[in-house]
Amino acid sequence: MSLISTIALQVPFDSSSLVTLVWVGFFMLSFIYGTRIQSYFALNDIGRGLNKLKVMKDKSRKEAIDYLVNVGKSPGDPTQRVDQFLDYVTIMPVDIDPQGLVGKIDHVVTTDNDRVRQEVSKLVSQTNPVTVSISENLLEVATSLNMIHKIVRHFYLLGKKTNSYFTLIQLQMLMPMIIQEADALLNAVDSFKVGQPVGDGIGPVVVSKYMVGKEKRVVAKDTVMAISEYKGRKLYMLKADGPMAYVGQPGVAIRKVVEEMGVKPSAIIMIDAALKLEGEKTGEIAEGVGAAIGGIGVEKFQIEEVATHNKVPLYAILVKQSILEAITVMRKEIAEASEKVVVVLNRLIEEKTKEGDDVLVAGIGNTLGVAQ
Amino acid sequence: MMSSVPSSDKKSKLLVYSIEECPVDGQKTKRAFQVGDYVTKDGAKCTKCGNQTRVSLVFAESSRPSG
Ligand SMILES: [Zn+2]
Repeated sequence: MSLISTIALQVPFDSSSLVTLVWVGFFMLSFIYGTRIQSYFALNDIGRGLNKLKVMKDKSRKEAIDYLVNVGKSPGDPTQRVDQFLDYVTIMPVDIDPQGLVGKIDHVVTTDNDRVRQEVSKLVSQTNPVTVSISENLLEVATSLNMIHKIVRHFYLLGKKTNSYFTLIQLQMLMPMIIQEADALLNAVDSFKVGQPVGDGIGPVVVSKYMVGKEKRVVAKDTVMAISEYKGRKLYMLKADGPMAYVGQPGVAIRKVVEEMGVKPSAIIMIDAALKLEGEKTGEIAEGVGAAIGGIGVEKFQIEEVATHNKVPLYAILVKQSILEAITVMRKEIAEASEKVVVVLNRLIEEKTKEGDDVLVAGIGNTLGVAQ
Repeated sequence: MMSSVPSSDKKSKLLVYSIEECPVDGQKTKRAFQVGDYVTKDGAKCTKCGNQTRVSLVFAESSRPSG
């Protein structure tokens, strides 16, 4: 047989060319339908996360209702009121004309906080401020989880409806972080319910050491101050009023002490929990300058203004922790950092001020389970 | 195309303790947290000198023996 006919006979039955054909087909398919296939997987993935968020949201709602009924001795069935509470919205002021914006935000936020406390005190027949403040916090957790679930569901359904690959992929990418945060919030419920101090309370823990046994006075809403002394310096110690789950108004309090009470501090030292970066150790201490306070920015603005206006240097002592550790029961590493913070604080006072000076020290954070 | 949603972490159980500290001699006693405990709350009498102790810390430890 000639060479030509051998080849002609072999080609149609060559198995390797069949494999090649399948490969080419597969390539074409994934080339044309690749994003659709990925969208499909993303949808599945997000759907699973969304279910998880729903379970979390329902659990936190149930926990809040149970607490109101069992501990708060709610006068009626609070379910309906709680559901209304979860959907309550706070409308932030317009920011196209930024002049005086912080004052407006402060006004809205204060109104909202007052509203929450009023509403909660109607939901419980208990007047114990600890119970009321814990109820407030539990409802806030449930509101946050409700909001997270709603927003994720919105983008999930939007992505599904419009078949938008990029919406879905972005959401899929964010999902692990969202779940992590939601998980932290849900875990916070367990510590809040029983009134255990949380990691965020490390600032108040340190300050309470200086305030214990001293005369306390209220200097702002939910905020107390006591005067202590260290090596000839007069220390004005500030924290939220514990052991309630309060954060107080340190901005208002500092302004009042400096501008209304006429105290001329040589330094303002703020002690707060700070979010650690992955890889950093829990309970590590960092020092710095500036106003160490989180939140929406109103308090920070107020403190910076007072400090700038009166030319008082601002120092910060930060205790590193993760978001989960900050809102759940205080870990040993964080609690043990309190002694190191005291050493740093004393050193800072000695280095930055002279004998006879006034120093303002503020312990920032949720003061649940930390009295003074 | 692995799932990017983490399965809930295997939680090691946290045990919560209260530390009662004597303000006079610094004697510390560790006991289990009881509902109603808070930092600065009066504790039992000091085992060494009989003074009133105070809760100085409340914290959680992992139940796994840490090295
Ligand atoms: Zn003693």
